[in-house]
Amino acid sequence: MDKTQELIDAVIKGEEDKIKLIIMENLSAGTPAKEIMDQGLIAGMNIVGEKMESEEMFIPEVLMSAKAMSSGVELLKPHLTEDEASASGKMVIGTVQGDLHDIGKNLVKMLMEGAGFTVFDLGTDVSPEAFVEAIKKNDADILGMSALLTTTMPKMEETIKAISEAGLRDKIKILIGGAPVTDEFSDKIGADGYGPDAGSAVRIAKNFAPDYS
Amino acid sequence: MAKICSNQQALNSPYARKLTERQCEKLYWACLEILERTGVHLYEQEAVDLLKKAGAHVTDGNRVRIPSGLVEKALTTVPKTVTLCDQNGNRVIHGGGHQSYFGTGSDCLNIRDHRTGERRLAVLKDIQEGMILCDALENIDFVMCMFLPSDVHQEVLDRYEMEAMLNYTNKPVIYVTTEFSGCVDAIKMAEIVAGGEESLVTHPFAGCYINVTTGLRHNQEALQKLLFLSGKGLPFTYIPSAQGGVTAPITIAGTMAMNNAGALTGLVISQLKREGAPFIMPGWGGNMLDMRTTIQPYADPEKRGQAIDFAHFLGIPTFALAGCSESKLVDEQAAAEAAMTLFTDAIFGGNFVHDVGYLESGLCGSLPQLVICNEILSWIEAFMKGVEISDETLCLDLIDEVGPDGQFLDCQHTLENFRDRWYPNLFERSNFDGWQSKGGKSLGERANENVNQILEDHKPEPLPKDVAKAVHDIVEQAENTR
Ligand code: B1M
Repeated sequence: MDKTQELIDAVIKGEEDKIKLIIMENLSAGTPAKEIMDQGLIAGMNIVGEKMESEEMFIPEVLMSAKAMSSGVELLKPHLTEDEASASGKMVIGTVQGDLHDIGKNLVKMLMEGAGFTVFDLGTDVSPEAFVEAIKKNDADILGMSALLTTTMPKMEETIKAISEAGLRDKIKILIGGAPVTDEFSDKIGADGYGPDAGSAVRIAKNFAPDYS
Repeated sequence: MAKICSNQQALNSPYARKLTERQCEKLYWACLEILERTGVHLYEQEAVDLLKKAGAHVTDGNRVRIPSGLVEKALTTVPKTVTLCDQNGNRVIHGGGHQSYFGTGSDCLNIRDHRTGERRLAVLKDIQEGMILCDALENIDFVMCMFLPSDVHQEVLDRYEMEAMLNYTNKPVIYVTTEFSGCVDAIKMAEIVAGGEESLVTHPFAGCYINVTTGLRHNQEALQKLLFLSGKGLPFTYIPSAQGGVTAPITIAGTMAMNNAGALTGLVISQLKREGAPFIMPGWGGNMLDMRTTIQPYADPEKRGQAIDFAHFLGIPTFALAGCSESKLVDEQAAAEAAMTLFTDAIFGGNFVHDVGYLESGLCGSLPQLVICNEILSWIEAFMKGVEISDETLCLDLIDEVGPDGQFLDCQHTLENFRDRWYPNLFERSNFDGWQSKGGKSLGERANENVNQILEDHKPEPLPKDVAKAVHDIVEQAENTR
């Protein structure tokens, strides 16, 4: 692959046109799409993730990188197998029933998309049944739930129960977050992971990946 | 009671402003333009119906575009001040103009425990202790529940919060409830304490803190609470939460325009429901999301001042926010942020200034931090007083009498007047040896001791037994139907 470092830098700087150009050059030179994806786009986004966690990059810059990367992925898609294209997995996300706080959830969603996940956003005030429905309909690998109120946290447990009852628990990883949520609570209700912030949520979701991809 | 008022007499007491009249006008027109052009989504049918009947343009069921005339009319009927009584019916707070009152915040999940120094989940006992402390602190004028009790059933936690605020202090209350039913119960409890429905209206001692999803999206519970309380003529705050860079433009002006378009929407609905209903609007403007850490900063310098100016321009009382910090500890940052925010809100003349004692951007509270804020408020009160330059205070006869070589220490005049000057309680002025002989303690350590002392000594006036029982019955009923 040519200009690997330049592609990585373009992702970090969120330079959409440059990303597209380098990808096209590589495709015409015969570089496999998967290689461009892994060594350029994903490698770049990984650095962006690290820079966000070390507070070097600010959210709008991160989202700009994510957007630019997505446009690169779109270019690559026709050249990837279906498995390669959705390698990161599919996620259903929402704020649980009774809860209207969605700023954190939206951030998690955008960063997940930036990391290459396909995300189905159910919005706020989402009932356990609606979560189950969406998981089935979209054949999701990950469920993300957000709750900002202690009064709505129990809905996370209820949702997990509903998922088990629907016979879906084994095929899905469950990630939860929101200000009152803790690791302890996540263990207690049988979730697979808890993200204290959007960056760590992405990191955890990526760690789930080997289990299903 | 903190007797803090900026701009008391022309050029005689300090006051500040950031926005000129012309800027306020432009901002106001922007709000009107947003309401007419973009409109709002209202998730409560009665509110949509009221507006439609009054001439608003409704599409898609609940997208409401509000003509400017409705706002103009509402501004002529809304009261310019909101009075809050203490729980005995004394009219202690006249929120409006430049008069500032200070109170705690609500619902902190955690407490920095002053006995152990640890951060832990808060429990009901913490609210009770917090209220005893507030009852004793002379510069805390109203209470919010401070903590969120993790040891009660969460569906009904707001009932326990209200009960504790009624049982452990006599001061005016601003309550928060998650759902509408909690608001109805809070009013029932308040009516019991006031001695009936009518008494609560004539002597209101409790106001509801209503939060709205964003400036242009008004959730059902918020509108239900607004309609219920306006209908009764009881006070509440209506605070949309437009967040710059997320649910509003990142510019301060853009966020303020969207947020205040939301506040004015609430104002119009309240006045349509009942002309003359009291209404309190946001006293901070230009909220942002910290794009580095993703927290919503409370002590942000840029969101202070201009919203208070705007509310003064409209003639509506404000719910402001100060005495809060992003710090995780009761440390130098916490003291600095608390002091600067309290000072700015006082000098701009915010009315109901809440969140005093908050740490961790609203996720943690601390009793010693509150005591420190009480001391800061005492300092601010002294600073904000005007200076009297008169024949009496210039003391020219005395100066002449004492002459160039005399001194004033043993003058009768000094003896009679020296106590009028300000003395700190917690801030330490002793010289090094004096300070050391008192134990050489830091401000934090002294605040800790002060908290313990107050909790040991102060006994708030209890509710009469039958009243306390009737209040508790409401909690029980909520427990039984949850
Ligand atoms: C799937 O995996 C994951 C992984 C990680 C995940 C994740 C999911 N979800 C989140 N994360 C994590 O990553 C994100 C990014 O780093 C982070 O997300 P956060 O959401 O934490 O962070 C956001 C980026 C920024 N933070 C926020 O947006 C929340 C800030 C605070 C101030 C807050 C806000 C803004 C709001 N509020 Co609300 N609000 C508070 C909050 C206090 C606080 N400091 O948290 C809190 C949560 N609220 C509270 C209250 C009381 C309420 N609120 C209410 C309403 C609102 C607004 C609508 C006004 C507004 C939300 C606007 C919106 N569109 O979301 C009411 C309830 C409404 C309802 N039914 O939901 C109301 C009841 C108040 C009222 N008077 O009506 C308190 C908690 C009460 C409780 N029982 O637990 C509260 C702690 C404030 C306080 N101290 O009083 C992480 O948590």
